[in-house]
Amino acid sequence: MTYDLLSVYPAKALEYLLGAGYLVLFVFFWRYVQGGAKARARAAARTPVPTGWFGLPAGVHLHPGHTWARVEPDGLVTVGMDDFATKLVGPLPVELPPVGASVLQGEAAFAVTDGARRASLAAPVDGTVVAVNTAPPAPDDPYGAGWLFRVKPPRLAANLRQLLTGSAAHRLLEDVSEGLARRMNPELGLVLQDGGAPITGIARTIAGDDWDALAREYFLS
Amino acid sequence: MAEAAPGVATPAPSFLRDRILLGRTPREYLRAQLTPFNLVAAAILAVGLPLLVLRFWKGLGATTNLSQTAPWGIWIGFDMMTGIVLAAGGFTIGAAVQILGLERYHAIERPAILTAFLGYVMAVFGLLADLGRPWNIIQALFNYGTASVLFEVAWCVMCYTTVLLLEFTLPFFEWLGWQRFLPALRKALIALTVLSVIFSTMHQSALGSLFLIMPTRLHPLWYTPTIFVLFFVSAVIAGICMVIVESTLSHRVFADRVKGKHVDVDALTLGLGKAGALVTFAYFFLKVQGVVDGHAWHHLTTGWGAWFLVELLGFVLLPCLLFAYGVRHAKVRVVRIAAAIGVLGIVLNRINVSIVALNWQAPQRYVPSWMEVMVSLTLVTIGILLFRWIIHRMPILSDAAPADAAAQHRRRA
Repeated sequence: MTYDLLSVYPAKALEYLLGAGYLVLFVFFWRYVQGGAKARARAAARTPVPTGWFGLPAGVHLHPGHTWARVEPDGLVTVGMDDFATKLVGPLPVELPPVGASVLQGEAAFAVTDGARRASLAAPVDGTVVAVNTAPPAPDDPYGAGWLFRVKPPRLAANLRQLLTGSAAHRLLEDVSEGLARRMNPELGLVLQDGGAPITGIARTIAGDDWDALAREYFLS
Repeated sequence: MAEAAPGVATPAPSFLRDRILLGRTPREYLRAQLTPFNLVAAAILAVGLPLLVLRFWKGLGATTNLSQTAPWGIWIGFDMMTGIVLAAGGFTIGAAVQILGLERYHAIERPAILTAFLGYVMAVFGLLADLGRPWNIIQALFNYGTASVLFEVAWCVMCYTTVLLLEFTLPFFEWLGWQRFLPALRKALIALTVLSVIFSTMHQSALGSLFLIMPTRLHPLWYTPTIFVLFFVSAVIAGICMVIVESTLSHRVFADRVKGKHVDVDALTLGLGKAGALVTFAYFFLKVQGVVDGHAWHHLTTGWGAWFLVELLGFVLLPCLLFAYGVRHAKVRVVRIAAAIGVLGIVLNRINVSIVALNWQAPQRYVPSWMEVMVSLTLVTIGILLFRWIIHRMPILSDAAPADAAAQHRRRA
């Protein structure tokens, strides 16, 4: 085996060059790998993905109990009921927490009521309520004008990790759509809903006066 | 069980029927086992298991092509070296979830730990078959040969297999319904993960350190004084790649077990792909550095060099670039292909180092006997069968045992 003893300096030079080359190339490599993330986020924000029956815009974090949270530019978090919850209970009065109240992620924070019957919904994030929406309900725009209250979140990053976004959130809505379709017509399975999107107040249509029990099941409360 | 129609007598709960036979009678269960995969597996076991008996009855000489000059065959090069490196997903994902706090990878932690556990158990079986007198393995532990790398390897195998066994007891006890032990085990999981990172780091690199005493036996292109670093870094790559490949397969093959679990496998795959891109990029440069450091570049023009370049360019650089491309353009398929090539590349590396490029100047080269190949194939088959058997029953792809989830559902309804 030939061993180039005399070439020690060129060899060392090559090693250092390789080390430095690695670091320089790594910068470009890292930028290349990371670069796609921003482009993807922009593309996702531009094209809302349709979710069958229930809509879900980009940038919204979904709680499995069908409430949503959106981080606003000022650092506050806007909270509301998702499209599914809105259509499930229909146009009913909502009992909101007072300004200054604390809400906890996953704990009941507000409720829809109809006389003695009520179903409470969980807050998607922890925080102190700083504003509530006093405008009339907007069932057609659950993620915009239909917002319910704003909170100042103390531990947003940890909270957001527990929430669903993107395809996982869409899958949640797809699964409830499927479950709902079976409840509406358990024998036929996926036939009825080929005709169109469900109207509001589905819970009352399916369960009548027991709408609150059905709603609680979906709201995990 | 819960969905039994009214008027139909619900059979009393039975551990054998509900938990072992998946709710079927023994006859139905056996009939369901007649699948092409099972027939092939049965054929392999029918040949391989008697061969294992033959090896212990007649000895290594009767079953293998090993010799005094070539004492390491595929039972070391493939079963041990490759089995262990492909088990690296256990500590890689465990560390990511429990120590680095990357909670979203939690969904793939248990399959990764199960693969690691089975990989280690199969590697230990392979090793027992390879050792001339396996019962003497106890000497490696208690003779305190602290100057020997094998001493470290032996202790690490024993300790880490034990840690993996303890990590595996969590889903196992959940399956048995032994609630009493679960809180303590869940708390212990982080400690076990720390131990698994320690033992894996030591073990994966020590397997590389074994080659430090063979600078002339191992081809200069593969030999470097820092080979243990290469072994460790490539183990991380193998761990990442294996988890991608395996989560793809298991979420496809066992789709009924993850239905409704809201695991976004695609997002996890892209995240793992990013890690894979960075580690393979570093590994590529470390490999090149090894060649430069050993002044071995003139070997690159030989046949050995061509083979080395196949490994370096085709199975390190190519998956690295594919990972980067796939992550940047959010192409999950590309990331999966990169991971599959990555797994093959690490397998190729271990086989190159411990079989192909070892004793490269020896006049007589070792070629495994058909019986050695068959025994290795048998061990892999047993590993796959065990993986499938466990994943169909225990809460591996989901957290709560199926029976518990059903009970919870009933309570809520």
